[in-house]
Amino acid sequence: MKKRRPQSLDNYTFLFFTLPAVILYTYFYIYSLITGIGYSFTNWNGIDPTYEFNGLRNYALLMQNPRFWNSLRVTLVYGVMLLFSVIIMSLLLALCLDSLKRFKTFTKSIFFFPAMISAVAISLIWDQLFYRAVPVIGETLGIAALSQSPLANPKLALVGVVFVNAWQAVAMPTLIFLAGLQSIPAEMHESAMIDGASPFERFRHITFPYLLPTVTVNMVLTIKQGITTFDFPFALSAGTGGPARSTEVIGIMIYNDAFQSMKFSMANAEAVILFIIIAFFSFIQIKVSSKGGVN
Amino acid sequence: MKRENLVWHILRDILLACGFILILAPMYLVIVNSFKSLEEAGRDFFALPSSLNFNNYTELVSKNSYWSYAWNSTYISVISMSLVAMVVPAVSYAIARNYHKTYYKAVYFYILIGLFVPGQVIMLPITKHMTALKMLNPAGLILLYITLSLTRGVFLFVNYIRALPIEIEEAARIDGCNTIQVYTKVVLFLIGPMLATLVIMDVLWFWNDFMLPLLMLSKSPDYWTLPLFQYNFKTQYSFNYTMAFTAYLLSMLPIIVIYCAGQKYIIQGLTAGAVKG
Repeated sequence: MKKRRPQSLDNYTFLFFTLPAVILYTYFYIYSLITGIGYSFTNWNGIDPTYEFNGLRNYALLMQNPRFWNSLRVTLVYGVMLLFSVIIMSLLLALCLDSLKRFKTFTKSIFFFPAMISAVAISLIWDQLFYRAVPVIGETLGIAALSQSPLANPKLALVGVVFVNAWQAVAMPTLIFLAGLQSIPAEMHESAMIDGASPFERFRHITFPYLLPTVTVNMVLTIKQGITTFDFPFALSAGTGGPARSTEVIGIMIYNDAFQSMKFSMANAEAVILFIIIAFFSFIQIKVSSKGGVN
Repeated sequence: MKRENLVWHILRDILLACGFILILAPMYLVIVNSFKSLEEAGRDFFALPSSLNFNNYTELVSKNSYWSYAWNSTYISVISMSLVAMVVPAVSYAIARNYHKTYYKAVYFYILIGLFVPGQVIMLPITKHMTALKMLNPAGLILLYITLSLTRGVFLFVNYIRALPIEIEEAARIDGCNTIQVYTKVVLFLIGPMLATLVIMDVLWFWNDFMLPLLMLSKSPDYWTLPLFQYNFKTQYSFNYTMAFTAYLLSMLPIIVIYCAGQKYIIQGLTAGAVKG
């Protein structure tokens, strides 16, 4: 038997393996994270060479700013609407796809297609369809609310944006649900069928309990995606969050405050608040995914 | 067949058909209108084009800028992905096989901090940081992509490698391999499936990403990637929407071709990533 290499050499190799990651991550990510939180306690406008520490003033101002509350509300409504539409659609879709006998792979690939294209392209395409096709449909059906693009109507704009986002966001949870459905032992369904259980009863007593952990995982993923949305409302409102701030989610407010209105430190304070909200959901995510889900 | 089953099957097929229409109708409208002139599209937005008119395509492709955006997207995605594929598995392997040591466990949880930080939180300070470093350019963007892909990548790989049997590596060591040889000759083959998943997830992200290029590359059109080109199309030209559809379609084309060729593997890979992540 050959003599084993000295242990220390191996240790150096392993240490070397971690170095690029640790250096990049510390220099770009952690450094930025800390300075970002630091900026939120200053009055820096993002340009001037000097700035002063001003404690919690940005946060106090935010609490009094109706625009901030509006944007939190819009973000929350967005997240909840996306959550319900995506979970219901993807669960239905997964159940349909799972029971298909023929063309299963083909059908799956069509329904997964939206996940391949960029959010910007999807948004810009739907923007045009809303603008050109919806009035035609509204006229034919005689619905006054659809006489113009929903994106131009402050009452409907957010629904329009969520619709476009959901158009893409349904794909991934559907796959996760499908994986969950495939983990259900086939014998369960067979014996239930022999006992004369209806499809609904089988869903209620077999499929649903098995799928419950997957539902939780998908819910947390979707709500996080909804709360941190940026591309869709940005591209669909040309970066304004309009009309009348009806689609100004927190991500857009942060971006515009920092780079358009020169309120850089204020924008960082908004970002820190978003950070706290997301951290809360991430803890839930880790709790539910460590409990199981599909494996 | 029982009646309830029949009802369920009919409902299911109706639902799937509606979904098909919802997904394919936009694609249909984009494709047919890309072959129309503005006037023709104005006359009828929904009809098939009167003839296969490639004017929009030739005009777009004859502009150097389109190729420059496509090239930027391509090389940024390819270089970022190659570097990610070098960095992420290596650090994950080191962590997974030394998990009992404080340093490696600490590195693992350190990198997982990123799970808690949404993109909008990091985007402001990271842009300032890169501005100060004079790195608002594709090279800077590539470095950020490597950095930002660490969290998800390490999370997936550490769990994957820890579940692999260590005996194969031990056998290689007994045959005289050192750590680097064990890694390149044994581990890289064992983690192949996970590497495929990582490549699919990250390439899709790099290719389709909008927020980071918007922050990092907006200054000069020479740097633009395809999503920035798509976004700026509206402001850049007096808005010719049939041409815009052509531009969107041409920008999506590479992904569509790759998807058609390998949809089975792409779907498998992404499912593996999502279910474990």
